[in-house]
Amino acid sequence: MQKEVAIIGIGITPFKARYLDKTYFELAYDATKLALEDANKNGAQITHKELQSTVYGIYNELFERQFMPDIFTNSYLGMNNKPGTRVATGGATGGYTVRMAYAEVASGISDLCLCIGLEKCNDCYDEQTGTTTPEVLNAIAYSADMTYEYPMGMMAASSYVSMVNAHYEEFGNPTEEQMAFVSVKNHGNAMLNPKAQSPMKITVEDVMNSRIICYPFKMLDCCLYSEASAALILANKKKVRELGVENPIWITGVGAANTDCFIGNREDMGRLYSNIYAAKVAYKMAGLDYNNIKKQIDLAELHDAFSGQEVISYEELGFVPFGEGGPWIENTFEKAGEGPWHDGELPCCPSGGLIGCGHAVGATGIMSTGEAALQLRGDAGKHQVKIEKGRAIAHSIGGPGAAYAAIIVMANEEGVR
Amino acid sequence: MNGEFQDHQIRDVMKINYKYTMGGQSKFFIELMNNKKLFGTKCTKCGKTWMPPRINCSDCYTPADWVELKQTGTIEVSTIVWYTTSAFIKAIPYAIGFIKIDGAETSLFQGIFSENLVPSKVKKGRKVKAVFQKEREGKMTDFFFVPEDEYDNWINKPEYEGGK
Repeated sequence: MQKEVAIIGIGITPFKARYLDKTYFELAYDATKLALEDANKNGAQITHKELQSTVYGIYNELFERQFMPDIFTNSYLGMNNKPGTRVATGGATGGYTVRMAYAEVASGISDLCLCIGLEKCNDCYDEQTGTTTPEVLNAIAYSADMTYEYPMGMMAASSYVSMVNAHYEEFGNPTEEQMAFVSVKNHGNAMLNPKAQSPMKITVEDVMNSRIICYPFKMLDCCLYSEASAALILANKKKVRELGVENPIWITGVGAANTDCFIGNREDMGRLYSNIYAAKVAYKMAGLDYNNIKKQIDLAELHDAFSGQEVISYEELGFVPFGEGGPWIENTFEKAGEGPWHDGELPCCPSGGLIGCGHAVGATGIMSTGEAALQLRGDAGKHQVKIEKGRAIAHSIGGPGAAYAAIIVMANEEGVR
Repeated sequence: MNGEFQDHQIRDVMKINYKYTMGGQSKFFIELMNNKKLFGTKCTKCGKTWMPPRINCSDCYTPADWVELKQTGTIEVSTIVWYTTSAFIKAIPYAIGFIKIDGAETSLFQGIFSENLVPSKVKKGRKVKAVFQKEREGKMTDFFFVPEDEYDNWINKPEYEGGK
């Protein structure tokens, strides 16, 4: 099953706070064009006309001011009279979209599929503060339970901080300083990624002194919302051969799980159960071992919406035992000194992740998957990490209390052997 | 494209009004509004007590019965919010958390009000008690929790009262 579906083209627009010169469908066009150009550079000779279907990752209707943004994108991409399906699973939309595009190609209903994520959030505008962010946060907060949770002032950061605080109560980590390490690392890694929104060389003190958002998350512990589009072209084995693609990146495992969106219903509030289940399914499909995963992959592009949640994710994804995420980042961080944090036991977010690149929700998981694939091709540019095993993972989570999770495992030709 | 780009933005709003049905959960909101009581549900098969209530047990696929819960509980996890959505930005700082109400097995997300809003006041393990609005509409905003040692102060404020 390992060499059935490959990523043959990758197109990622720059992640920016705001595009005044592009609509969401114009951003999608740019990403699609970049992905086609990349596929052609990679040996194929295709145009959008050869693409047989599209899977759209678009999270939030309120951002786009349109409840069916996919069909308008479909028109703009010149994809009329072909199937197009939208996926919306909160912050995990990107990863889930890759999973569904994989399913289309693996099932044989599409030989060549466009997998595209897009989001343009910062057109939301809060008149009372004269800024965008509170209104963006409100558009997201409508994803909380509207009867029991939204009326109490639930928002994304307060939802994620609950798991981090519960984890801290149980294990004594991540400490505020350990969380700051993630922020310094990911902002720092983004310095080498020309598409990142928030490249910054900062110190632990800068993070600790940034304004409080919700205790103990501070401004620099949080990713910023972003506008962008990211596209992948997926092909089946036959098509890869037929097109003469030189460097296919095989999707060897896809795993997803939705845990209880009511955090209060969970057995343990300090766990991201969705991540554990999704990771186990994805690794098993790829023939990898959950308890040894750190030694079997070259890098992980993680969903670091919040610094403390990246630390917990190390545990849920099997990199370290439960409770040891905090000490692990401390060790990794200190060994790398001034950064970039591309070495160590397992490079996490060499692109800069969400904290460094920004979070263009529907596009994010597709960007992460595309970034990991570029790394496996040796095409990541200045933030290229050392590829020895030929395997990587991309991680997407989202929804109330990170209820959604999707994990994509991929490999280059060496990695599938 | 020819010529220099000039941007153009328009002001717009999306708004829908609702008369939203509470369905099987209705009793919870009616008891809250009329009697200042907190009702959960108990599965008739496994005995799990759900809060927020659901009239069917999602674990057993069996109906659940209404049971009155106490008005006291324990903070399981909390945070203090200092920056938030446009709908709540005027309310900062505010504390929210998951409260395990005595008698329930799941925790309810609610506001935790305190006259001294510091993390230690709303820490895990603290006992809290429900305080009700005098003017109630049958919504979650009809009540909130306060640290037990502040309860008397809160119910003596003109807009609030204690439960039965």
